[in-house]
Amino acid sequence: MRMLEEFWQALDERFDLAPLVEFATHKEVPRHRHSWAYYFGGLTLFFFLVQITTGILLLLYYRPTSEAAFESVQFIVTRVPFGWLVRSVHSWSANLMILSAFAHMFSVYFLGSYAKPRELTWWSGFALLGLAVGFGFSGYLLPWNELSFFATRIGTDMVSKVPFAGAWLLKFLRGGEDVTGATLTRFFGFHVAVLPMITAALLGLHLALIQRQGMHVPEGLEEEAKTRKPIPFVPNFMLRESVVWLLGLAALAALAAFFPWELGVKADPFASAPAGIHPEWYFLFMFETLKLIPAHVLGIEGELLGLGVFGLGGLVWFLVPVLDRGSRKGHRTRAFLVLGWLLLAYIVSFTLASLAGVFK
Amino acid sequence: MTDRVLTATVVLTLATAAALAAPSPSPIGTPGKHTEDSCVGCHSKLDDSRLRAPAEVAKSDIHLTQGVSCAGCHGGDPSSDDSSVAMSPARGFTGKIGVRTIPEMCGSCHSNAAFMLRYSPNIPTDQLAQYRTSKHGQALAKGDTNVAVCTSCHGTHGILPPSDARSPVYPTRIVETCGRCHGNAALMSRYGIKGDEVSEYKRSVHYAALVAKNDLSAPTCKSCHGAHGATPPGISSVSNVCGTCHLSQRERFDQSPHKDAFAALQQPACESCHSNHAILHPQDSWIGMGDKQICGSCHSAGDVGATAAASIASALAKASSAEVTTLARVQRVERSGMLMDEATVKLEEAHQAFVMAQLEIHTASVGRVESQTKAALGALTAADKSAAGAEAEIRYRRSGLFVSLAVIALAMVLLILKIRAMER
Amino acid sequence: MPAAHEGPAISRRGVLNWLLGTSLGATLLAALYPVFRFVIPPEVAEAPVNRVLAGKLSELPPNSGKIFRFGSKPGILVRTASGDVRAFSAVCTHLNCTVQYRPDFQEIWCACHNGHYDLQGKNIAGPPPRPLDAYKVDIAGDDVYVTKRA
Repeated sequence: MRMLEEFWQALDERFDLAPLVEFATHKEVPRHRHSWAYYFGGLTLFFFLVQITTGILLLLYYRPTSEAAFESVQFIVTRVPFGWLVRSVHSWSANLMILSAFAHMFSVYFLGSYAKPRELTWWSGFALLGLAVGFGFSGYLLPWNELSFFATRIGTDMVSKVPFAGAWLLKFLRGGEDVTGATLTRFFGFHVAVLPMITAALLGLHLALIQRQGMHVPEGLEEEAKTRKPIPFVPNFMLRESVVWLLGLAALAALAAFFPWELGVKADPFASAPAGIHPEWYFLFMFETLKLIPAHVLGIEGELLGLGVFGLGGLVWFLVPVLDRGSRKGHRTRAFLVLGWLLLAYIVSFTLASLAGVFK
Repeated sequence: MTDRVLTATVVLTLATAAALAAPSPSPIGTPGKHTEDSCVGCHSKLDDSRLRAPAEVAKSDIHLTQGVSCAGCHGGDPSSDDSSVAMSPARGFTGKIGVRTIPEMCGSCHSNAAFMLRYSPNIPTDQLAQYRTSKHGQALAKGDTNVAVCTSCHGTHGILPPSDARSPVYPTRIVETCGRCHGNAALMSRYGIKGDEVSEYKRSVHYAALVAKNDLSAPTCKSCHGAHGATPPGISSVSNVCGTCHLSQRERFDQSPHKDAFAALQQPACESCHSNHAILHPQDSWIGMGDKQICGSCHSAGDVGATAAASIASALAKASSAEVTTLARVQRVERSGMLMDEATVKLEEAHQAFVMAQLEIHTASVGRVESQTKAALGALTAADKSAAGAEAEIRYRRSGLFVSLAVIALAMVLLILKIRAMER
Repeated sequence: MPAAHEGPAISRRGVLNWLLGTSLGATLLAALYPVFRFVIPPEVAEAPVNRVLAGKLSELPPNSGKIFRFGSKPGILVRTASGDVRAFSAVCTHLNCTVQYRPDFQEIWCACHNGHYDLQGKNIAGPPPRPLDAYKVDIAGDDVYVTKRA
């Protein structure tokens, strides 16, 4: 104990830690009916930390070439002690992170936390979601098995539909005309270097903004928040968050135990695509929607129209803090609330329907 | 003036006589040196396509490229541009060569070992002798000119060596060459031959290997019937013929009771079960006394053979189905990410034992087939155990993770209690 | 002396804290143990896909052969009568049986359908349609390493 105190003294003398300690001990989280929503951001962060850890561990054995990638993953899951666990956790945590990110985004939306002065937080968050999906898409190819190869081929095919830049984008993503070992190496570079770098910067910004501005109390709950005693961040909220994080850990352990991630069959670029190829679940609603659009609508290619609509939708979603004029004054426009519910209903119903095989 | 005419006539006659009397320059030139002869020169300019054709293929003809001119077969004087001299019977010109004389004519060079040595050190020279023993040769000797002679298969003009892929006797083309006559049912019926042999052969695995896989070692008509001595193999020699390539099967057949039994019954060994031309991939399901099965064609229900057939069939079926299920299990476990190297090695061993079991069928010995199927089943059991071990490992991991779930749950509960205690 | 009503409270809180600490510690251990085991490389440092230690030179007399494993596929190591060491795939190119060395023929032979391969791996008799794949042999002391050609 004495040593700890001396150690703290030494640090404080050099770095003046007192203001930081002040800030930490006084940081509070508002308590109200929907305080439960405040955990989703941290949970997403938890899954991301798991990804970094398991990702670095996998990096010790993984080989990013088409000749060795599958075999190296096979080596990890069959010969490296607990390799099967690290790999399964990495695959599941990716999915849980994106699920948690969506829950975080929608809860933020419905609670109107994007409103002024938190526009930049919303925008950085939007970018972070895009990065998470980018992580998922690039990581999915890395085991170089049949499913991932063909899913990547179909997924990257979509970008070629973008007008003007489509062909260039395709070549940029694929490292060539088709999905090959060059694509694998490139995706690996994105997955372990480019995306982490950008994510670190944006995440730092996102967290810094939240520390600076504090937690948003949703419209209509200000009275309740004032009446009820706020939760001190240290140690109460942290302990509560630990419970949530432990729940996340338990979920990962359970999924790794009951639904271990399959190794699959090595990709053969010359084989025909196996029946029922589909992307990961977080792309399913878009995938099924695009499949439903007829080949040509009013002279425009169906897929192009679909992508255009999604692009436009994404833009609207991004600009919500600006478009929702009412939110700037603290009274969010009802229309946007309805929009949010419709979007959530659309995504959830299409995803579940696709998983249930309704679209077959 | 009569004097001059007389002199001219005498001179001319003498010159012609001299020219005619002079021995023809040899039609056999230096080996390997293409001859330039008047035959090709004139005939290539003719209007009649039938007479022009031989000259047109002259460049590729092996005889001409080796220095043997047209006169080498047809006689005449290849050095003279005067057709009356070149094609003079006095110079040995024979014109179109009659079918009956073709074998002897070709044999006059091709059976002369010393002569053929000029062209190739190991070239066979027994073709004519073989031909005389063949069905074709025997029929020809009796006066039947409808049978094949040398030119029927090798071509008349533009003859290429059999190793040239364009030759009608190149391995992949032989069946079409033989088929020109042997595929003609009406013609074959005159000799008591069914005429379906070519179409039957084309259904076979041998034909598929030859044509689809381009395996030149696959048997074609000449491989079993002989090329020049073409004759169907006799009853007793069928297993010799098949056994040339299928030695392992033949050795085992010779050890079986079928060998003497078939000989006594005058049954052609391999052909009885595998057919002669339409040789298809053998199926394990052939063994037995049932409808589409072969043992019943000789054996009667309940006799030694029928019992043995039933035992053999069931041993094979058991090993075969075990192989399928074990393979599926191992593949499933491998796909889920478990190391199945040991199991894969055992599966290979099992497969090999099964192939050997199929080989042992030819001994007609239940014991020998079963010793191989037992080995196969043993290896499959080992592979199965390996797969089961891997599945158990997966279950063990699941229970291990259960334990950690319990620990986490405990930690969570205690944390909640702690929070409650703090906030009281 | 602590007040009576505080007695049980302190020991209960103490127990709670101890249990909490222990369970959190156990959770941490359960998470860290696999990580520590993971980072230490396994016995076989690389998947035996391209290169294996096929055997010892001292255990391979002239005019003999030995089957070794390349992952899950068999390979055959042959020492010729003149002492040369060669390695080939032992998977017969006919129907995938495992070949063997025949010192009497001084050839590689397949028991299934009597296929023969010469000591260059070339198919010389019987049904095999193609030669055996040849592997590169490197000898380091007594160790014979076999590498698949690219």
